[in-house]
Amino acid sequence: MTTESSIAQSTEAQIREEQAHEAAENSKFGFIVFLLSETVIFLSFFAGYIIYKTTLPDWYPPGVTGLDTKDPQFNTIILVSSSFVIYVAERYLHDKKLWGFRFFLLATMAMGGYFLYGQAVEWSNLSFGFTSGIFGGLFYLLTGFHGLHVFTGILLQTIMLGRSFIPSNYDSGYFGVEATSLFWHFVDVIWIILYVLIYVWQ
Amino acid sequence: MTNAPTEAINIARRQPYPGAPDNWKRFFTFSTDHKVIGIQYIVTSFIFFLIGGLLSMIMRGELVTPEANLVDRTIYNALFTMHGSIMLFLWTFPVLVGLGNYLVPLMIGARDMAFPRLNAVSFWMIPIVGILMLASFLVPGGPSQSGWWAYPPVSLQNPTGNLINGQVLWILAVAISGVSSIMGGVNFVTTIFKMRAPGMTWFRTPAFVWSVLAAQLIQLYGLPALTAGAVMLLLDLTVGTSFFAPERGGNPILYQHFFWFYSHPAVYVMVLPVFGIFSEVFPVYARKPLFGYRVVAVSSVMITGISALVWVHHMYASGTPGWMRILFMFTTLLVAVPTGVKVFAWVATVWGGKLRLNTAMLFALGGLVNFVFSGITGVMLGSVPIDIHVNNTYFVVGHFHYVIYGAIVFGIYAGLYHWFPKMTGRMYYEGLGKVHFALTLAGTWLCFLPMHFSGLMGMPRRVSSYDPEFALWNVLASLGGFLLGMSTLPFILNMVSSWIQGEKAPNNPWKAIGLEWLTTSPPPVENFEEIPTVISPPYGYGKDEPLIANQAEVVPADGVTT
Amino acid sequence: MNIRAILTISIFVAFLTIASFWVAGQAPSWFPPQASAESKLYDELFSILSGIGTFIFLGIALVLLYAVLFQRAAKYDDGDGPSIEGNTAIEVIWTIIPLGLVLWIATYSYQIYDTMAVRGPMELVHLHNPMEMKTALAVPLDEVKPQLPTEEIDVTAKQWAWVFRYPNNVTSTELHLPVDHRIRLALHSDDVLHGFYVPAFRLKQDVIPNKTIDFEFTPIRVGKYRLRDSLYSGTYFAANQADVVVESAEDYDRWLAMAANQTPTPAYNPASAEYNRASEKTLVRGWESVPPAPPPVVNFAPKQEPTSPPA
Repeated sequence: MTTESSIAQSTEAQIREEQAHEAAENSKFGFIVFLLSETVIFLSFFAGYIIYKTTLPDWYPPGVTGLDTKDPQFNTIILVSSSFVIYVAERYLHDKKLWGFRFFLLATMAMGGYFLYGQAVEWSNLSFGFTSGIFGGLFYLLTGFHGLHVFTGILLQTIMLGRSFIPSNYDSGYFGVEATSLFWHFVDVIWIILYVLIYVWQ
Repeated sequence: MTNAPTEAINIARRQPYPGAPDNWKRFFTFSTDHKVIGIQYIVTSFIFFLIGGLLSMIMRGELVTPEANLVDRTIYNALFTMHGSIMLFLWTFPVLVGLGNYLVPLMIGARDMAFPRLNAVSFWMIPIVGILMLASFLVPGGPSQSGWWAYPPVSLQNPTGNLINGQVLWILAVAISGVSSIMGGVNFVTTIFKMRAPGMTWFRTPAFVWSVLAAQLIQLYGLPALTAGAVMLLLDLTVGTSFFAPERGGNPILYQHFFWFYSHPAVYVMVLPVFGIFSEVFPVYARKPLFGYRVVAVSSVMITGISALVWVHHMYASGTPGWMRILFMFTTLLVAVPTGVKVFAWVATVWGGKLRLNTAMLFALGGLVNFVFSGITGVMLGSVPIDIHVNNTYFVVGHFHYVIYGAIVFGIYAGLYHWFPKMTGRMYYEGLGKVHFALTLAGTWLCFLPMHFSGLMGMPRRVSSYDPEFALWNVLASLGGFLLGMSTLPFILNMVSSWIQGEKAPNNPWKAIGLEWLTTSPPPVENFEEIPTVISPPYGYGKDEPLIANQAEVVPADGVTT
Repeated sequence: MNIRAILTISIFVAFLTIASFWVAGQAPSWFPPQASAESKLYDELFSILSGIGTFIFLGIALVLLYAVLFQRAAKYDDGDGPSIEGNTAIEVIWTIIPLGLVLWIATYSYQIYDTMAVRGPMELVHLHNPMEMKTALAVPLDEVKPQLPTEEIDVTAKQWAWVFRYPNNVTSTELHLPVDHRIRLALHSDDVLHGFYVPAFRLKQDVIPNKTIDFEFTPIRVGKYRLRDSLYSGTYFAANQADVVVESAEDYDRWLAMAANQTPTPAYNPASAEYNRASEKTLVRGWESVPPAPPPVVNFAPKQEPTSPPA
C-alpha cells in the first residue's frame, strides 16, 4: 500500500467515523424532540383528568369510593427503581462490559414486566370498566396508554439485548441504547405524575 | 446524510438520476432524496387540491339557489366536511411540507434532511390518508358529515350504527396524518438545528428556514393534543366511553378545547411558511434586502409561542366563562403585532426597490394585500362582542378563505413559480403565469368578498339552504368559485408543458442571493459538490459581497449537469 | 424630510381618513335592522373597527400600488436597489403603534361586552372556588326601562326544531317577545349542540345538552325577525329556523291569551317534512340520517311555512 492510499484510507475512515458520530448526534437530538412531543399527549390526557375531577362533584362509578393504593405503590417503587437499573446497565456498556450491560438490562425488563403484570392484576380486581362513566374511561385510558408505553419500552430493551450479541455492534456508539434508556426514563416520569394524579390526589 | 465532501461518498449511478432520461421514475419510488420527496408531496397534494376544489364546486352549485335542490342534505354535509378536511390535511399541510422538504436542505447547505428514510415514510403516509378519506365515500352511511371539526355529540351520532363508518375512517385518517406530521416535525427541527452549513449562524439563516422551523415546532406541541382529543372521540364512538357524550355525563366543550388547542396554531403552521416565501420572494424581485430581517426571523418564533395561547377565540359562543373569553381576546389581538411587523417589513422591502413583476412577485404582492384584508377581519373576529354576531356565519368563512386562499395559496403559487426553474431545470411560460394570476385574483375577490356581507346579514355557515335575502351574495360567490376552478387550468397547463419542453433554466435565473441558487438547476443528488462555508448574512442586495467562501470557484457554471 | 414629502404624506393620510370615515358610515347598512338594545352598541363598535381597518388596508394597498406602478426596474437594468436593511426608529414605531392599537381595541371591546350585558352562560366549569361572574347590568342602556319586569321564556332546541314555553305554560314554535322588556331565555338542548342566533339582535349563544344556559337581552323594535340555528347540528340543520315576533306588550299579552286557548297540535316542521319526502324518493338518495324528532306539539304554530322577514 502506498503512502498516499494509506493516508486516503485513514482519512476516509476518519470521515466515516465523523459521519457516524454526527448521525448519532442528530438521532439523539431528534429522539429527544420526539419525546418532548409525546409528553404533550400525556399532558393533554392529564388536563382532561384534572378538568373532569375538579368539575364533577361525584364522578366515581356506583359502588366505588376510591382506589386501593397498596399494590400500585409497590408497582411504582419497582418501576421507578428500574430507571436506576437501566442507568447502571448503560454505564456498564459505556465501559464496554457487555455481560454487566446485559444483566442489568434484563433486570430492567424483568422489573418492567412485573409492573405490567401488577397493572393487569389491578385491572382484573377493579369493579368498574372502561365504559363506567368518565372516571372509568379516564382511569383505563391513562393507565392503559401508559402501559402501552411500558410495553414498548420493554420491546426496545429486548431489541437492544438481542443486538448486544452481534459482535462489535456497540463499538462505534450506542445511540439505540441511549434512546431506549431515555424512553424508559420518560415512561417513569409520566408514571410518577400519573400516580400522583390518580392515586395520591383522591 | 452528513456534510462530508463528495469524494468520500459512493453514489450509485445505476439508478435514475437528475438529468437522465429516466429521471421521472424516481418520483414513483420510495426515494429518500429530499428533492424527490418534496416534489412527490407537491404533486400529490395538488391532486387533492383539485379533488377538494371539485367538492367545493358542487357546494357552490347548490348554493346558487336558496333551496336545497341540487343534492340531498346528507350529501351537502359530507361535501363541506370532506372539502375542509381534504383541503387542510391533504393539500395545504402537505404542499408546504413539500416545499420545505425541497428547499430547507438546499438553503442551509446540507446534503439532505437529518432522517431521509423517516422523511420518505412521512410522505408515503399521505396517499394512505387520502385513500382512507376517499374510501369513506363508499361505506354505508357515507363519509363523516360532522364538519372538519367533528364536534360531538353530532360526530357521535352514527345513524347506521356500524362500527366501520365514515366518522371512524375520518378519525383514523386524521390520526395517521398527525403521525406523518410529527415525524416530519422531528425531521425538520433536527435538520435546521443541527445541519446548517459552516458559517451559517442563526442570523445568517434565510427567513424561510426560520419560518419552517417555527411552523414545525407548532406541529410538535400541538398535534399531540389533537391526537388526545381524537383518541377520546374515537373511543366514545366505537367503545361507548363517556368522555364527550353528554347523555353519558361527558362534556362536549372539552372536546372543543382539545381540538382548537391544536387547530388554531395549525393555521400558523400553514401561514408561517408562506410568510417565509414572501420573505424570500420580495427581496429578489425588488432587488433589495429583506427589511428588518432579524426581527422578521424572530417574529416567526414569537408567533409560535403566542399562537399557543389564543385557541378559545373559536369558542366565544360555546359556553366558555366570561373571564376566559376576555383573556383570550387579549392574547388573540396580541398575535397581530408580530404579524403586523412582518407586513410592514415586506412593504418596506418592496418600497424603493427596482421591481420586476414576474408571476412569483405578482402572487406574492396579491397574497400580501389579501392577507392584510383578512388580518383586519381577523382582528374583528378576535373581539368578543363582534364575534358573538358573526361567529359561525359566512363572515368567518369569508375571513378564513381570504387567509387560506388569498394569502396561503397565493404564497404557494408564488413559491412554485419562483423555484420552478430550480426544481425542474426549466423556465415556465411567463404569459400563462400572468393569466393564472389575473384569473385567481379576480376569482378570489369575487368568491370570498360577498361572503362577508352575507355573514354580516346573518347567514350561518355550513347551510345547504338559506333564506332568499342572501341570494345575491351567494350567486356572486358561486360565480367567483367557478372562476377559481377555471383559474387552475392555465397553471396546470403551464407546469406540465414547461416541465416537458420549457426553455432550459440557468442555475440562477432570477439572480437571487441564496445557497439554493449556487448549485445547478436542478441540483445534483448530493445538492452541492462541496459544502459551502457561509460568510455573509442573507439578502445582500446592493452590496457586492459573496455569500460563501471562494464563491467564484465553487459555483458550477450554467449547463453543467453532474 | 422635505416639504414635498410631508405634503404628499399629509394628503395621503387625509384621503385615507376620509375613506375610513366613509366606510365606517356605510357599515350599519351591512346589517339587519337594529332590533335589540345591544345591536346599537354592536354596530357602533363594528363601524369603528371598519374605519380603522379601511385606513390600514388602503394605506398598505395604495403604497404597494404606487410601488408597482412607479418603482419598476428599467427594462435592461439588472442592477440592485439600495441596500437598505432596516431602520430601528421606524421598526420601533411600527411595533409600538400596533401594540397600542390592539390593546385599545381589546379594552374597548371589553367595555362594550360589559355594557351589552351579553351575559354568558351559567358557569359550566364549577371549580371549588367558583369565580363570580359580574352581573353586567352595570351600565343601564337608554332603551332599557328598569321598571318593566323581565320576561322569562324557556327555549328548547332539538334536531330540528325550536320550541318556546312561556310563563303561563303556553308553547309555540314562534318566539314572541314584548318590546322594551328585558328578556331572559333559558336555553336547553334535547340532543346535540345547537346555536341560538338572531341576527337582528346581534346575539348568539350555543346551546349545550344537559345544561341550562341563561341568556338576556332587550328587544327594542317591533317587527318580525329570524332565529337561525348557527351551530351545525346535523342533517337538516339549515332548516332549523323560527320566526321571532317583537310586539307591544298589549299585543304580546293578547297573543299569549289566545294561544293558551288553543289545544296543542303538531306544528309544521320542515325537517320532518323533508325527511319523509326523502324516504319516498328512489332516484338519488343521500346517506342515512339521524331521524328528526317528531314535530313539536304546541299551542301555537305559524299558519304557513316560516318565510323570510322583510329586509
